[in-house]
This record gives sequence, structure tokens and C-alpha cells, in this order.
Amino acid sequence: MSESLESGAPSFLDQFPAEAKLVRATLWSSFTALILGGLFGIIQTLHRTDILRVMDSSYYYTVLTAHGVLMVVSFTIFFLVGVFTWGVVRSLDRPLVDMRYSWTWYGLMVLGTLMAVVAVLGGFVDTTEMSADVLFTFYAPLQAHPLFYGGLAIFLIGSWLAGADWFRAWYAWKREHPDERIPLQTFMALTTMLMWYIASIGITIAVVVFLLPWSLGLFDEVNALLTRTLFWFWGHPVVYFWLMPAYMLWYTVLPKLAGGRLFSDPLARVVFVLFLLLSTPVGIHHQYVDPGIAEGFKFIAMTNTMFLLLPSLLTAFTVVASMEYGARRRGGTGLFGWLRALPWARPAFTGMALAGLMFAAGGFSGMINAGMNINYLVHNTLWVPGHFHLTVGTAVGLTFMAATYWLWPQLTNKPLFSRPIGLLQVVMWFVGMALMSNAMHVSGLFGVPRRTAEPQYEGFDFTPAFGTMNEFDMQIAVGGTLLFLSLGLFIGNVVLTSLGSKQSGLGDSLPPALSGPSDSPVVLDNLKLWLGIALVLVVLAYSLPLVSIISRGGLFGPGVGTYPVIIDTFSAVVESVATTGIIETLAQFEVGVIVQ
Amino acid sequence: MSTETPKREIDHEEFDPKGTLALILIYFVILSILWVFMYFIEFLGNDLTVIG
Amino acid sequence: MHIHNYEKIWLVLAMLLIVAFISTVAYGATAMGVDMISDDEDTIDPGALDEDPRFADPRVEQVGEDEYEAYVVAQQYVFEPDPIEVPEGSTVTFYVTSRDVIHGFEIVGTNANAMVVPGEVSTFTVEFSEAGEYGVLCNEYCGDGHHVMEGSVTVVPEEEYDGGDE
Repeated sequence: MSESLESGAPSFLDQFPAEAKLVRATLWSSFTALILGGLFGIIQTLHRTDILRVMDSSYYYTVLTAHGVLMVVSFTIFFLVGVFTWGVVRSLDRPLVDMRYSWTWYGLMVLGTLMAVVAVLGGFVDTTEMSADVLFTFYAPLQAHPLFYGGLAIFLIGSWLAGADWFRAWYAWKREHPDERIPLQTFMALTTMLMWYIASIGITIAVVVFLLPWSLGLFDEVNALLTRTLFWFWGHPVVYFWLMPAYMLWYTVLPKLAGGRLFSDPLARVVFVLFLLLSTPVGIHHQYVDPGIAEGFKFIAMTNTMFLLLPSLLTAFTVVASMEYGARRRGGTGLFGWLRALPWARPAFTGMALAGLMFAAGGFSGMINAGMNINYLVHNTLWVPGHFHLTVGTAVGLTFMAATYWLWPQLTNKPLFSRPIGLLQVVMWFVGMALMSNAMHVSGLFGVPRRTAEPQYEGFDFTPAFGTMNEFDMQIAVGGTLLFLSLGLFIGNVVLTSLGSKQSGLGDSLPPALSGPSDSPVVLDNLKLWLGIALVLVVLAYSLPLVSIISRGGLFGPGVGTYPVIIDTFSAVVESVATTGIIETLAQFEVGVIVQ
Repeated sequence: MSTETPKREIDHEEFDPKGTLALILIYFVILSILWVFMYFIEFLGNDLTVIG
Repeated sequence: MHIHNYEKIWLVLAMLLIVAFISTVAYGATAMGVDMISDDEDTIDPGALDEDPRFADPRVEQVGEDEYEAYVVAQQYVFEPDPIEVPEGSTVTFYVTSRDVIHGFEIVGTNANAMVVPGEVSTFTVEFSEAGEYGVLCNEYCGDGHHVMEGSVTVVPEEEYDGGDE
């Protein structure tokens, strides 16, 4: 029943058993985060819309922090390291250099996640005063438990080491294959990691220099605008970090699923280079209505952001053209009739195609977010989460789930448990997100804020131009429920697949592009050059704003206080670890950290 | 799966993705209209303009 | 490097779109005079707002004919003053700062929307042409009572205006 049965080729697991095991581990971590994140998602949806409130509203922010961190840090990045490991090993056709090293970065990422999640979940336990209800953005001077910042730092280090692993594999491959072009999937992973290293400069300074020592009590004050700006230095490129593995799948796997081949390898390389260059010098567009940053800097950030649309718009063309090529090979005809010839019965294809369609819509609301002065209309309203549930929540999330239907059998030698359930699952996600996201966008336009437990105020009512607040809340709740059910179907399908019995010949190869790498200039593969230009652009975009912020308020701020969402006590840490049932080894590790 | 078997081979030079071009032009028109609507009606037509 | 003609067409259209977006925003900023919150004001010690002539007593002050300044303090989980009372037909410049953490200041259903960062003063000017009531809410998470943080702007008919005192 699996589409790949007929190919009879050896699978990734057959060829690279050690790497397949690592990729499976990263994906399990990703899916675990997805289940928990989804659980917090549905609690939050029903609470906010006042359908079902199972907890006091003060806990809402613990739920929201957990939902955000688990979904956009753990789910996405664990999936990324898995799919990049697969892509690099597959496209280089050689194993990683040292699996002990590889398991080390995976272990660090798991450890970092557990530390941060324990700190966040501490917010539920009344007997401990530990918590980290600072949301995904952790703006100072709200202060989380040091375990939260420490966990984040360790997770980041793990992700950097993972990137170094792929560079090592590539260097080893280069010695064996001098003068060859970098295989496309490896090229994508490496350029993405270069972007990630540059982006990490911002958050590393924010966390390691300021927030972590501040949370440990080494100093009392931070500059709230500075740490916020450093957060967004990383906070925008991180959205492309989520997106790039989805792009890799759209460029290299989706054409194959559609029955065709990638339309243009050179353009795919150009797109990834553009993302490396432009993803970082744009973060100030999250701060259009911030005080303390000159309008000129905001305008420059907008210009860069708008040009960052280019690689995505080019991608839309190349990916759709690759699908059309497949459809026409399958006998599709007519200006639009070929769309019917696409393999809509395959959940992997349909999921990715629907994810791409949602990205076209999310792209539009992103264009609005990018506009400088129009930001007054939407800033911090429900419009914004409406937007990113289309992008990271669907373009990325649904692509990952769909790709799993194709990739998982090749990592386990077990055919997918059920294709119809997979198909139902991806369609439910699409419908649920269409409902939820549409209502969120519209609610934002009449002023409903994001990140609030109870959007019900005493002194005023929201006045939609059409419909009622209640109707939009219902749309959000129904959409959120569909998403939660869809997530359950996904996890069930993966688990049942894993419980199935092994078969041979589940491998599925990826065809070369129509227009291959030899058609592109060699300079595209000069990673040092692109890294250098990217760094120059970051310096140009950020040096003056940062100097201005520091000279105005000082490195440690003009007297901003400390507002812990917790009071740290050593015993509370251990106690909460015990009550949340996390394994003992972790508790021991924490003892080590805290005692120091 | 029989539909997997390619019915014909087409190379890069002779393949004109007409359908893609048509779809993307439709997207272009939608983007343009929505942008004008959002900027000039929803935003500039909204209450209170920050003028200083 | 071979690029298909259709792709070239799309590349040109995409660039056009980008330039058009930037131009629209520039048009709004110049021809329509939409101004961004910027770095006009010096930083301020959030722990010493009580000694600041503007924020010790959050209030609305008349500074010219039909011109007013509103000094607003945001803190967990209130805005002061509340209500912010201004007359119809007035031009009001808001100075908003925070006593503690980062907040948001959103006049609900309008384009008046600013971040409020401790240590900084957000300033922006709007015109209130008609009498009426606006809600104000905090749109940045500021602690576990965030959802109760609200205020109001009351625009009263000119003849009924008593100087903004409650």
C-alpha cells in the first residue's frame, strides 16, 4: 500500500542505520514537543474564547509560555536537525564523521529542552515558587528562573554543534570529491546554519551576558530596550530557521511526490543565499512602535524586510512549476486542468501542497506586518498570531507532518499505517487552521489583543465591522479543536506505523533537477563569500541602532528594576522536579548547576 | 501505482509552465488588491492617525 | 545561468511589488503625515517617576489653543490617569512610560498603538475630532494580571471640558 513499495530500493535505514537511528530520535523528540504543545494549545484556545476554563486565568500565561516554547523551539528545531541530518547524509551519500559526537549534540538539545520545560511547568506547581511565565519572547525586566535561560543556552549550543556536524561531513566529502558542486540538500543545510550562527549572536549576548547572570542575582538591572532588541536580532531569523527545512522539503521532495523533478537547481541556491544574506538585518521590524529607536532605522529595517519577500516569491514560482511539470508528465493538460492530475490521494503530497497554499495567505499578512506605519493597525493584536499560525503553524508544521508520512517509512522500514487517516489528518489541519487563523486576523483588525487570558474588558466592548465577537471566538474554538484532533490522528498514525512489522524495499530516491547545478555560477557555492557579505549587512543594519540604545540608556539600563515571575529557592527546584515526575538524572544535573 | 509512471518526458527548454504563470499572476493581482484595501481603507481609513 | 523566461517575468513583477509596498509606506509617511514613534524623548529612571515633573502626577495639560499633552504612566495592572479626558477637536500628544515592566498602550479600534518600555518615553500625537469614549488596553504581556489592565480615553464636547480633572 505504501507508494514506495514498488521502487524496491534500499531505504535510508538500510544504507545508514546509525544515522537513521539518530534522525528517528530527533523526530520523536519533535513529536513529543508537538503533543505537549498541542495540549497546551487547546487548553489555551478554549480558555481565551471562554468556552471552557479549567484553570485560573493567572495560569494561562504558564500554558502560553509552554505552548510557544514547545512548538516554536522544540517541535520545529528538533525536526530541523533530523531532516537536515537526513538531507546531508542522503545527498552526500556518506555517513556522519563520528556518531558519538552526533549523539552529544542531540543529548545537549534534549537536556536544554528539559531544563527550560521544567522551569516553565514549575509555574503550575503551587508548592514551588519556580516558574518561567515569560512567554517565548522573555522580555526583561520580567524575569524567569535561571534554569529557563540556562536550558535555552544549552539547547542553542546543541544546535550549533549539530551544524558543525554537517560541516564536518561536508569537508570529509569534499576531500573525496574535489571540484564537485555541493549537493543541493547539503547546500541548503549549510547556508541555513550560517544564517543561524549569525542570528545566534543576538540571543547569545542577551542570554549569556545579561539575562542569565541577572537571573542568578549577579546584577540587579538590565536595559529592557537593549535585551528586547537583541532578542529580535535573533527573533526574526529564527522564523526562517523554522522555514528553511520546509523549503528544503518543498524544493527536493515535493516535486518527486508530484511525479516530477525540481524545475531549477540554480534558482534554489540563489534563494537560500538570499535568505542567508537578508534574514537577520530585519529584526527591528518587530519594533516599529517601540520608543527609543529612530524612525530612520525602522525604515531601513522595512526596506530589508520587503526585499526578503523576494526569495519566497521566487520559491512560489519554482515549486509550483515543479508540481506542474510532474502533473503534465502524469498526463495533465490545460491551463489549470493539470491540477487535477496531481496525486491528491497521497497525504505527503496533499499536506505539503496545502501547507504551501496557506503560506501564500500567510505571506500576505506578513507583507502587512512588514509595512512600517501600517503596523499601528495590527501591532500586538490577534492579527499577529493569526499570521504566524499560517506560517510556522501550517507552512512549516503541516509540511513537517506531511513529510513524515513519506520519510518515516524510510527511517524505520515500516510502511505507513494508514494513508486515508493521513489524508484526513492533513485536510483537517488545513480546515481547522483556515477557520482559526481567519478569525484571528479579523479580530486583530478591530483591536483584540494577542497574549491575553480574557479578552473581555469592563470599560468597553470590541466593535467588529461585521459579525460579533462571539462568532469569531467560536470560529477560533472550532478551528483549534479541529487542529487538536488532527494532531492526535498524526501522532496515532506515526505510533501505529512504528508498531508495525518491517518490510524491505521502502527506499525512495529523489530525481535530479530539470536544470541542474552545472547551470549555475560556481560562485553560488562560495559559502565564505556569502557569510562575509551577510555579516557586513548585519553590521550595517544593527551597529547604529545598538550604539544609540546603549548610549541612551546604558548597558544595564536607566534604572529598570527586576520583576521575577518567581523567587528562586534551591529546594523548590528539586521539589518541582520530583512532582513533575522528571527523571532523577536530570534532578542530579540541576543540583550540580544550582550549587555552582 | 500506475499513475506514477511518467506518460511523457519533457525537458527544461521545451517546458513552459503556463499554468504556474497563470496561477502566480492571479496571486499577484490578489496581493495588489488586498494591499491597497488594507493600507488605504483599513489603515488610513481607520480612526485616529498618528501625526507626530 | 539559465533562467526560464516565465521566471524572469515573475522576478520583475515580484520586484515591482516590493518597490510598490515600500513606496506606499513612504507615501503614508510623507503625503499623509503618518509619523512613527521614535527616539525623541530622553531616557527616564522608571524608579524615580515620582520625582519627574511630567509623571509624578499623571495628567492632561493644555499647552496651546486646542493643544494638549497627556502624561500617562503604565504599571502592573493600571493606566494613570484613567480616564484620560480631552476635549473634542483637540490635538493631543501622549507621553507614555512604564513604572515597572514592558506594557502596550492601545486605544482600542484605532491606529494609536505603542509599546511602553521602562526607561523610555513613547510619544505620539493624534487628533480627536469627535466626542466619544475609547477603551485603552495593554497589548503586551506584563504579568499574571495582564488581562485586567485597561483604561479609557474620554473625548468630551468642548463646552463641557473642565481641564481634564476627574
